[in-house]
Amino acid sequence: MKILGKFIFKLIKIAVFIYGLLFVVFYYDLDGKFMYYIWEPLMIKRFDNMKRPDTTLTPYGMRDNVSEDF
Amino acid sequence: MKDLVHIFELEDLLQEAANPLVKQARAEGKKALGYTCYFMPEVLLDLPGCFSVRLRAPRSTSPDMATYYMSGRTCMYGRCLLERALEGGYNFLDAQMATETCTVTCRFQEHLQLMDIIQNPDFFCEFTDVPFKKNKNSIEHYASQLQAHVLDKLKEKYDIDTSDEALLKAIEQHNEICRLVTEIGNYRKLDEPTITGWEFSVIMLATLTCPKYLIIDKLRDIAEQLKTRKPDVKKTYRCKVVLSGSEEDDPDFIKLIEECGALVVADRHCYGSLPGREEIVVKEGETPLYAIARHYLETSECPRFMEQHIMRERKDYLAKVAKEYKADGIIISQMKFCEYWSYERTIDTLILPRDYGYPVCSIEKEYVNNAVGQLRTRFQAFVESIELKAIHNKKEGSAG
Amino acid sequence: MNLTDIKNTYRKLFVVEKAPEDKNKPKDLKKAVKDFWYGKPHEERRLGALYVENTGLYKHREWRGVKDTMYYFNMIWLYNYGHMVTDIMKYGGGTPKALVDFTKGLLRYRWMGQTYLTAIHWFDRGMEGMRGEEMRASAWHYRAMVSETIRQFMEMFASDKKLHGGEASEQWHKNIAHNETVSGSVFYPFRDVLEDIPLEMITYFVSVHVNSHTVLNYIDAAQSIGLPADPCPMCQAEYGLFIEDDYPDYSPVMVTTNEACDGSVATSVLQDWFLNRPLYAMPQPMRYDDPLVQKHCQKEIEGCWKFIEDQFGVKFDWDQYVKYAQSFNKLTEFEWEKWDVDANTNYYPISSVAQALYRIYYSQDGDRPIWHEIDDHVKRIMNKTVKNKIVCFPKTRHRAIAWSCAPLYYSHWTTWAYNCWGINCVINMDSLMFDQYLRTDTYEHALEDLGWFNEKAPMRAMAVGGHEHILSLFDYMERFHCDMVIMYDQLQCKGMQGIHGVFEDEFRKRDIHAIWVPHALPDKRTVSRQEIRGLINDYMTTVMHEEPLDPTLVDFDDSGSW
Repeated sequence: MKILGKFIFKLIKIAVFIYGLLFVVFYYDLDGKFMYYIWEPLMIKRFDNMKRPDTTLTPYGMRDNVSEDF
Repeated sequence: MKDLVHIFELEDLLQEAANPLVKQARAEGKKALGYTCYFMPEVLLDLPGCFSVRLRAPRSTSPDMATYYMSGRTCMYGRCLLERALEGGYNFLDAQMATETCTVTCRFQEHLQLMDIIQNPDFFCEFTDVPFKKNKNSIEHYASQLQAHVLDKLKEKYDIDTSDEALLKAIEQHNEICRLVTEIGNYRKLDEPTITGWEFSVIMLATLTCPKYLIIDKLRDIAEQLKTRKPDVKKTYRCKVVLSGSEEDDPDFIKLIEECGALVVADRHCYGSLPGREEIVVKEGETPLYAIARHYLETSECPRFMEQHIMRERKDYLAKVAKEYKADGIIISQMKFCEYWSYERTIDTLILPRDYGYPVCSIEKEYVNNAVGQLRTRFQAFVESIELKAIHNKKEGSAG
Repeated sequence: MNLTDIKNTYRKLFVVEKAPEDKNKPKDLKKAVKDFWYGKPHEERRLGALYVENTGLYKHREWRGVKDTMYYFNMIWLYNYGHMVTDIMKYGGGTPKALVDFTKGLLRYRWMGQTYLTAIHWFDRGMEGMRGEEMRASAWHYRAMVSETIRQFMEMFASDKKLHGGEASEQWHKNIAHNETVSGSVFYPFRDVLEDIPLEMITYFVSVHVNSHTVLNYIDAAQSIGLPADPCPMCQAEYGLFIEDDYPDYSPVMVTTNEACDGSVATSVLQDWFLNRPLYAMPQPMRYDDPLVQKHCQKEIEGCWKFIEDQFGVKFDWDQYVKYAQSFNKLTEFEWEKWDVDANTNYYPISSVAQALYRIYYSQDGDRPIWHEIDDHVKRIMNKTVKNKIVCFPKTRHRAIAWSCAPLYYSHWTTWAYNCWGINCVINMDSLMFDQYLRTDTYEHALEDLGWFNEKAPMRAMAVGGHEHILSLFDYMERFHCDMVIMYDQLQCKGMQGIHGVFEDEFRKRDIHAIWVPHALPDKRTVSRQEIRGLINDYMTTVMHEEPLDPTLVDFDDSGSW
């Protein structure tokens, strides 16, 4: 019983610690700072360097894939 | 080439919206009906007792008052029309038969409704809804709109005869004009055309802005003269081009292109004849009004149409025109701030060279042409590129 | 990096400067405790000092008093971050594949990778300075929009050919792609068998609000192939997605429309080219008040239904239509209730930006369960504020109406305007669209109302069909008891530019305070947020001769902000 109580108490302590940590992240906008200074630059680099097909080579034929009058 | 008969007289008529022929027709008791767009069928405005005037604002300079009302970020054509209206240049109008077919001309016409601009107590401005498709639903809708907002209004306000008989007669007269303009225009298809782009644009514009019954004889004379007109012994142009694009009612712009060595052999733009001067055919079982509605939707090549096959056919149409008129290249001209042609010009500039092999010169311009120097350079460079391409092709041909 | 740099970075990112007048003030413990418990009074908040320069980030998030801060932390920040994970699972079918699809999408599409995780900052920007019920109700609206966004992109990713080696899945054959301006209501008859997903709603429209950086790539791409800079940048961005090959390929067809302007019509040609698949155009009449146009409009909708039947081999289902239309009517009824409270009381708990975005999103999207769930929450809050006469936005000096289309990169300017100047933007033009009940007693009535509904779509309801529509501003001003107009001046909108002077004349004639707010819809480079604030500041000081409620908000740099 005592062990269980200790375990629960430990769990509560961990939960309180995580909750407190999250509050710090929230209050000091650490999530925003992470996204702005780390995540987004990484993504920009990724998307800027991504190979993209030349979409202007898409055919524009008269007969294919054309829906007629409805 | 020898000067074309009546051409300078017609050119003079284009210097004012209220030109002497317009004044003469009004003095004869006919009602002057203004419009701005192909989607307002001129044939309906040319019923007995009235005549159509497609609005232009020739010799415009800086549309300051209109810029206050419509800002400097709208199409200058619309602004110049409003400026001219505010100056009193359209006080001869008895009605404006309006369409909401492009935003800025629509706003211009709304100003005519909102503000006391046209100094004519009987003046009214009536809008017609124009569909975005060419299907049966659209033709029926368009016909009902034309009945309610054009014919019924003309009958109600000015007691114009809008019977089927009157319509058939108007179609007949309209077709005669179309036949003459097409006959004149066909000389542009010759290997060595016997009419210049500038001359043709003057004639075409005159048919849009003057009472037709007062110029038809002049057209007949011109057609007659062209039967025997010989081209210059020495070619005065270096290549032939199609002019495609948005609103264009300035013959001097055509002249500018031609001065750079490119003969304008086809006019596929808002005030052009391709399309615009096809004869109206009343099919069996159709009322004249239905035939008119069908005709104007079917013949129009406006980028406003949204049906998939129609959007695709537009590219094909332009290439066919270029082929039929033996053009070496295409100039696509877009009025600055025209949204329809911003997109259409973009895609045409990419698709026409790629899929049809026609070189394209893609330009954006204002209604009042101040940037002549820049345009001249662009056209000269385009002409040179066509010539170089021809030389290159010739070399390749002989090498092959 | 040396110690000085670290110190400077720390100061830049975390230290809030005190006001000069507070520096030498003796400590007032009682007041400090009161401020801690209840939050500072509006005039003492100094919200502008919280910003990290240029970024829009906060040195620390605002302390709103214990109750509201803990609500914000638990029920907005934690709750929504949590749901940004659980919703992915929920809408992805609850399997690990959902996470795989999500990750693939996140790393494949710029509008997703750069934007998704910044969504909570979008909440922050929309809820700055808010307290109590208005904070709660507004946050629910945001929650709904995020949830629906997740549903849509998960649907797209699950069947996206580009994420699955070019293979068309079974679901790919059951999706209808449509232009974002085609209302979801059109597809009600097929919702039990097909999924209708607007192509640009998430990829362009929502993403701009959350993170205004990504769209600039699409606008630049559009212009890179020769499009001039002046057409509506919304249309430019829509087709820039194609140029950049940044659209998900999730459907065999496309349905497009002419809403709301020439640019929208013209974009169709490029959509057709780049998508290169069967496309149905469902244009709405321009002169939509005309009784004669209604049949035509209805036939175009029926044409769309026939197109779907032919393309997908499914049948029009009247019962499905009735079910969804009736359900949507409940949303409309509540919207009217909201307008009533908004127009006639001070107890309306929804911020201007939440009102505008939620309304345009759900009415465009059509009936979905999340909208009902959120309306229930908001209804409870609104009933409480009305019943207990809780004044929301108590620092209101001016009741403003915003007219024309809003700057998407700065839709939350209203929050700033309230915090800084007490301008409470109680209603806006986009909220007033789609104002149409859908009858379901007969097919004819249903079709008639659906036609009207689509004719009254965003922008076009006011911007086309006659000047009387756009000039209805003055009727709405009266109805919502407004004393000020915020006149959006979308520089590339030809329809609005074309009637600029008439508005000037009318404002002068009617002696109305109107502030013109120029902008370029999604493109923050043309008119920056700071410039927009500058124009409002100038009007408020030089014409209204008023003092700001929070002087720290008058001028600050957020040019690099999302």
